[in-house]
Amino acid sequence: MKPNRDLPALLGILAVLALAALLPLAASEYWIGVGISLAMWIALTQSWAVLSALSGYISLGHVVFYGLGSYVVVATWERLPLAASLPLAACASALFAFVIGLPVLRVRGPYFVILSFGVAELVKYVLIAVEAAQGNASRLILGAPGLETLYALLLGLAALATLLAGAIRMTRLGQGLRAIREDEEAAETLGVPVTRYKLAALVLSAAIPGAVGGVMALRSTYFEPGQVFDPMISFSMIAMVIIGGGDDLRGPVIGAVLLSLISEFLWASAPQLYMIILGALLCAFVLFVPDGLCGRLLRVRTQ
Amino acid sequence: MIETLASGQLLFAALAAGATYALVALGLNLVYGTMRLLNVTHGDLVMLGGYAAYWCFTLAGISPLLALPGIALGAAALGSAAYHGLFRRMLGTTAAAARLESNSLLLFFGVSIIIQNVAALAFTATPRGYEYLSEVHRFGNIALTGNRLAALLVAAALLAAILAFLRLHIFGLALRGLIERREGAAVVGVDIDRVQHASFTLGFGSAAVAGALLSMTEQVSPFAGFPYTIAAFVVVIMGGLGSIGGGMIAALLLGLLETYGVALTSSNYRSILLYGVFVLVLLTRPQGLFGRRAIVR
Repeated sequence: MKPNRDLPALLGILAVLALAALLPLAASEYWIGVGISLAMWIALTQSWAVLSALSGYISLGHVVFYGLGSYVVVATWERLPLAASLPLAACASALFAFVIGLPVLRVRGPYFVILSFGVAELVKYVLIAVEAAQGNASRLILGAPGLETLYALLLGLAALATLLAGAIRMTRLGQGLRAIREDEEAAETLGVPVTRYKLAALVLSAAIPGAVGGVMALRSTYFEPGQVFDPMISFSMIAMVIIGGGDDLRGPVIGAVLLSLISEFLWASAPQLYMIILGALLCAFVLFVPDGLCGRLLRVRTQ
Repeated sequence: MIETLASGQLLFAALAAGATYALVALGLNLVYGTMRLLNVTHGDLVMLGGYAAYWCFTLAGISPLLALPGIALGAAALGSAAYHGLFRRMLGTTAAAARLESNSLLLFFGVSIIIQNVAALAFTATPRGYEYLSEVHRFGNIALTGNRLAALLVAAALLAAILAFLRLHIFGLALRGLIERREGAAVVGVDIDRVQHASFTLGFGSAAVAGALLSMTEQVSPFAGFPYTIAAFVVVIMGGLGSIGGGMIAALLLGLLETYGVALTSSNYRSILLYGVFVLVLLTRPQGLFGRRAIVR
């Protein structure tokens, strides 16, 4: 059964993340910065995969949870301590997921993909209007914690996301979500509480991106809705998981590491070239390696 | 405020927006109707058509209206190449077709990212516009620039011509048959391959023409295409799959809603309005474009 395959992967990833916690002892600020983006992408992709890789409801709007979390932390900055505002950010994103979940998850297949994109853009433009009405086109964040603190926070979130994703895969919820992905009607007929499971997956996959968005708002030291709701963040999450392979717990990590490294080399010098490579990789994997690197390397024949 | 709302000025602006949306949505409707592929790169074709008109005008001094046939032919050739080179081959085997259909949207998003960023590399991200027919005409109390008037007239004429063609020519009948029931159309002798190919070329061509018309009044930028994809989706879902006439009415409604909505609030709310309508339309018709078909059955 599945648990045998997921447990070693889970322990392995957690061990690697624990080792990565030692990085600040030896590395320069540049490499801590690289570590920050790696940990951020691992936390985001593991969360995204809980909903989209397991249930097949591919969200192209996951940046909405990241952006909302950013907004909560920034709006409460200097009024709430980080220990309160980060959990609040996660809760706000999860609450938003819960509220939109029922109507949005009735929409299936490609329509869900474009709908999730539309929801994220809608929230982005509403927040831009709200900020503009209050006279804050962008906000500066003063007194943000140092790089090492942010790195530690993001590593913790990456570990938490991996733990959550692993736990869900090993339980009834994970199996139910996989059944929904294969055939939603059949799953429902066999007694899988389809609506409840889908909603649970969406809420669980929204919470950690909210906290990640909160930490990343402090990293960039200024806040602008257009930037934290950038659709390219959603695209990157999808591309990473598709390339790594979403059905395997290691897939999102492998995809995140691979694309973050490419991005590290290209983003500053040639952002457009990076996006072209991202698009080309996404197309190539969707067409030729739909199960991703992990699926291809350890293809398990299932009936 | 009331005077502005009651004047013909806004009505004209709404008509112009509606005509453009109708032209953009027409192509999406044809491609989706015949091949069941949600082509999110459709708006990027609008963007490319805009750039084609811009470069023709600024480099060669060719008026956008004169360049229209060339732009349409170029985009149609691109559509033909995409159909023969990519889609027919992929849809050939049923296994590949099933896989393609489920993942087609991700594929199209990938292609869309590539097109947008190649355009940004080639043309830079700076929005580009040009002055053409910008003199003001007055009709009663309505003041119009020549380029807006020309864009509206050309779009309306093209829509009427395409509508007449689809109503009168046997191709229109074959197309409707294919959209409504694929197997049935094949049984009664519709050449599915030919109809799909024609829809692809017509769809690509009309999108690029819409982009060229838009470039006369609005600036073009590499990432400007996507909102047109969204608007086209709204129009196709509201108007009904394969219903060109319904699409025109829906496009007009969207144009009215957008123009009056922005006039009543501010231009900052344009995107909120567009995405708000989009989300609402999809939520009320969760079965998406198949809605009409499911009710008929």
